[in-house]
Amino acid sequence: MSFEWPWQYNFPPFFTLQPNVDTRQKQLAAWCSLALSYCRHHKLYTLDVLEAQESPVFNNKKIERKLSMEAIQVVFEELRKKGNLEWLDKNKSRCLVMWRRPEEWGKLIYQWISKNGMVNSVFTLYELINGDDTEGEEFHGLEEWMLLRSLQALQTEGKAEVFSMDDGKGVKFF
Amino acid sequence: MGNLLGRNTQPSRVTEQDKAVLQLKQQRDKLKQYQKKITFQLEKERCLTKLLLKDGRKEKALLLLKKRRYQDQLLDKTENQISNLERMIQDIEFMQIEMTVIEGLKVGNDCLKSMHKIMSIEDVERILDETQESIEYQRQIDEMLAGALTQEDEDAVLAELHAITQGEDIAFPEVPTEPIPEVPEAARAQPERRGAKNKPDREMLAA
Repeated sequence: MSFEWPWQYNFPPFFTLQPNVDTRQKQLAAWCSLALSYCRHHKLYTLDVLEAQESPVFNNKKIERKLSMEAIQVVFEELRKKGNLEWLDKNKSRCLVMWRRPEEWGKLIYQWISKNGMVNSVFTLYELINGDDTEGEEFHGLEEWMLLRSLQALQTEGKAEVFSMDDGKGVKFF
Repeated sequence: MGNLLGRNTQPSRVTEQDKAVLQLKQQRDKLKQYQKKITFQLEKERCLTKLLLKDGRKEKALLLLKKRRYQDQLLDKTENQISNLERMIQDIEFMQIEMTVIEGLKVGNDCLKSMHKIMSIEDVERILDETQESIEYQRQIDEMLAGALTQEDEDAVLAELHAITQGEDIAFPEVPTEPIPEVPEAARAQPERRGAKNKPDREMLAA
């Protein structure tokens, strides 16, 4: 299943930030949804801004247009405001992308847990994202920070408890 | 961090057993990772051996095969260890389940005991007696309200019913006796004996 690009992607002006406020807002919204769906399709959880600039999302080789560094920053800032992105460093060079909120991930995981009667069991984080049992589940291959966030979301709901042992973390579902 | 947060609001629901299970699972994960590594190496070396054989470097290939063999054994051993760990994990989990079962039985037992305290045998007897009395009383009221029928009436009704059902059987053999003019002595005595019973029959026939 290949990624479906929105029509704007082949529209050259899309790659230049528009001066008109209204147009610009629509443009940013389109960029945000494009970036998020691209990450979702390729299961990306962390982005490097420099790398992102070269990736097909912001760089359409067919029409030879790419989004400038400043514009990317603006798009990312917009995503951050919406709660889908978090900077990893002060220089804003690396960021975490959350195309699905931690609560939703938590819900997915908990659904799987309760479907398989594994409530009240202990799991290692490794087991949840890399184990054979979760093969084929959406959260298989999730990055650990994301998993931890979603588990913490579950913890505030009282459905899970994260604890550590030696060097690794584990979680118990309730 | 999450753990600390959890402890602030309510006591942690993670027990010592859970921690033990986690530790075991961590070991298992490590073994699984090790297994993956070895499998990967095996695959790589297999390709390498083929290449060496193609180049005609047989001794080197043989050496690699020996190494492979050893790694194969390692893989088997790891597999065993993993299943050992998993068995242990399952044992612990099952013990936890057993504990909850016992806990449940205990609660049930206590509940039964406390209920028995409320319900003494004397009370039950008294209540049963009272109920019986009430039933009797109710029956008397019913009789009075239903009016007419006393015990004697009931008996009579029953007798009649009995006679009717009997009468149906006897009715057949009686028919051929009538046209015969001379009735033997013994036969005449019989209807006399059964007179009481046959009377209702005749009434029926007449009707």
